[in-house]
Amino acid sequence: MIKPTKSVAMVQPGEPLPMLERTFTTVDLMAYGAATWDWHRVHYDVDFAWAMKLPNVIIDGQAFGALFARAVLDWAGPQAFIERLSFKMKSMAFAGQTLRVESEVTQIRDRTVVLAQRLTSGSRLVSEAGTEVRLPAPA
Amino acid sequence: MTLLTDELKAWIGREVHYPAHEELGRASIRYFALAMGDENPLYLDEGYAREAGYPSVIAPPTLVCETCQYAHRRPEANGYIGHEWHLPITDCRMIRTGNDYEFMRTVLPEDRISVTWTLGDIVERGSSRGGTQLFVSSVARYKDAAGEVVAINRETVVYQPLEMA
Repeated sequence: MIKPTKSVAMVQPGEPLPMLERTFTTVDLMAYGAATWDWHRVHYDVDFAWAMKLPNVIIDGQAFGALFARAVLDWAGPQAFIERLSFKMKSMAFAGQTLRVESEVTQIRDRTVVLAQRLTSGSRLVSEAGTEVRLPAPA
Repeated sequence: MTLLTDELKAWIGREVHYPAHEELGRASIRYFALAMGDENPLYLDEGYAREAGYPSVIAPPTLVCETCQYAHRRPEANGYIGHEWHLPITDCRMIRTGNDYEFMRTVLPEDRISVTWTLGDIVERGSSRGGTQLFVSSVARYKDAAGEVVAINRETVVYQPLEMA
């Protein structure tokens, strides 16, 4: 039994999406780097990070895209399709920090839902996204 | 002193193509989902994905833009193997400012994804901290075996002079 997918009739501008939280440990960062064939030391080698005058190894900013997409698809369902995801880096995030994705519907155009998304660590803004997801036509 | 030299301007419009070495593959999809802690069954369960209308498990949408699977070279001293322009810029640190992804279709494990990076523009702008910095915009186009574009990644990085950093 598959999870139902939302249709635009079920969505309202201003509607918040369920929050998504994810903590990246150094092990998670090693796994993410390996899974994306990105072996840059700054994501797992703390001596290298310290030499760069950073407090710890950095969470790869590209992983923010995956988090934004996941928050949308977990909400929208299996037949939703992300058409566009545009995100800007606002600050760095480091191993051990918990990232929180908050999302809100801003607009509905035909079958496409436009969302504003924010990724924070505590009170600090880490990244912001504008995302467009296409929902299936009503049955 | 301008950061945007004639030598640097000559890089605008350059293109590098990375052919696919193999199919994206179920292992890459499952590895990525595990690393992200994403248990969406569309990435892991063939039966579920087919019931949802797909021919098989599918790739998480941003995977093609995040992976350096297209690359095949020895890592640099810092470990990186993905695309880099190696621009003639010295005494600056590079910071990625953002990515703009556009997706045309769902990517499947059998897809052989080649990537073409194009250096779109280099612009010098003033910084709020004084002095100037360089904004370098690149576009990566991801194509399937038939040559159809499946995703586009517009990426901007900024080069800040180290004395400003």
